[in-house]
Amino acid sequence: MEKEEYIKKWLQGTLNEEEKGFFERSEEYKSLEKLSKSLVFFKAPEYDIHAGYERLRYVRSSKGKVVAMNWLSPFLKIAAVLILMAGSYFFFLYDAPTLVETMAAEKTELTLPDSSFVVLNAFSRLSFYEKKWKKERRVELEGEAFFKVAKGSGFDVLTSSGTISVLGTAFNVRNRKDYFEVICYEGSVEVQSAHEVVKLLPKQMFRMISGVVDKDNIAADNAPGWRVGESSFKSVPFLYVMQEFERQYNVSVTTRNVDTDQLFTGTFTHSGMSLALKSITIPLNLTYQIAEDKKIVLTGDIK
Amino acid sequence: MGTNTGENICEEKMFNELFKIHSKDLYKFLFYKYGSENNPEDLVQEAFIKLWDNCRKVLPEKARAFLFTVANNQMLNELAKKKTVIKYNQEKPKGHTIESPEFIMEENEYMARLQGAIQDLTEEQRVTFLLNRIEGKKHKEIAEMLGISQKAVEKRIYTTLAIISGKVGKI
Repeated sequence: MEKEEYIKKWLQGTLNEEEKGFFERSEEYKSLEKLSKSLVFFKAPEYDIHAGYERLRYVRSSKGKVVAMNWLSPFLKIAAVLILMAGSYFFFLYDAPTLVETMAAEKTELTLPDSSFVVLNAFSRLSFYEKKWKKERRVELEGEAFFKVAKGSGFDVLTSSGTISVLGTAFNVRNRKDYFEVICYEGSVEVQSAHEVVKLLPKQMFRMISGVVDKDNIAADNAPGWRVGESSFKSVPFLYVMQEFERQYNVSVTTRNVDTDQLFTGTFTHSGMSLALKSITIPLNLTYQIAEDKKIVLTGDIK
Repeated sequence: MGTNTGENICEEKMFNELFKIHSKDLYKFLFYKYGSENNPEDLVQEAFIKLWDNCRKVLPEKARAFLFTVANNQMLNELAKKKTVIKYNQEKPKGHTIESPEFIMEENEYMARLQGAIQDLTEEQRVTFLLNRIEGKKHKEIAEMLGISQKAVEKRIYTTLAIISGKVGKI
């Protein structure tokens, strides 16, 4: 028998007496016996089943799995129904506002659901709820817009400075920083500001600059000037004229020795900046410089 | 146990029972495979948590196979993995014979060589060999734990013995 055979049989403990006697006298046997005795010292420590189970229970309960198996799934069913209900509410009933915005030097026209017509001037924002439109005609406005409202029930324009209520008319709303102006072109318009309610008839204007209210008649056409490519002003502090200029040409205007509170009456075109600059500087005896980066400096003669 | 198919591992009592039956063998298995430095106790916990997570899918009679499959597949994070060290118990029972300093030194060297040899084995060689030689597990039992044939176990034990003998040398 080969040595390998002996070792294999010894490993399995299947050597018979005769083989055993022979094998035990060999050199291999001594080293294998030595190895066997030494291996015992590498025995794994005893496993504490009880402690192991207690620890496992603790880990499991902190995972919440025990609870999960018993009632989480009916709970999930209810949650799913709730989510479905909320989802259908948002889908069918919740009305996200329709939003229209313009950037500087941009104008846009839109038709409302009742075919009322709105034109947004530069740097303005209009929003309304399409699904509620049949119940109430209401838009929110920041900036300036011209409205031609179709006949029907009340039509409201909400602004930060006041609310404009109309039946069916054409009017312009200019709601800029510290500047609120409504001009009526057709029909009649009711303006509710924080302080008062004013009714405007065609060619009448309501204006509030830094809280100071002014009512005036204007020699208006049937639409504001900006609709035909120019901005018109009547006795407006020059500061707001400059701001409108900045919006129309997407530039920044700074002044040197200029009284920005002085009133300006006139128009400037939207179709050519140098002509427009002349329109607003010559009447006030100002000079202008166009610097790089769309910066314009107006210089006056105030000492 | 295995005959009662109506019972479910998700039930605490059954799960506890399975833990009592299998945790010790699983622990030994993981200890010899990965060594004491890789927390075999934690690996036992992980395997049983996996069993609990799958308690609806695994039949009680398949639990053992499931646990050892998990144990075999436990991917130890290679970066975090420590060297598989299986230390020998330093406190040997005191013998009655008076040992000479030379004998003690030789003995210590032998044990160190043996530890090194065990450490250098592959996981499969080590777990197979030690379960058989130290724990006295039968080839059949080891074959089931590893999911290999008895013949392969037998062959692996012999090969491993040859490797170790070659390294520790003669006495």
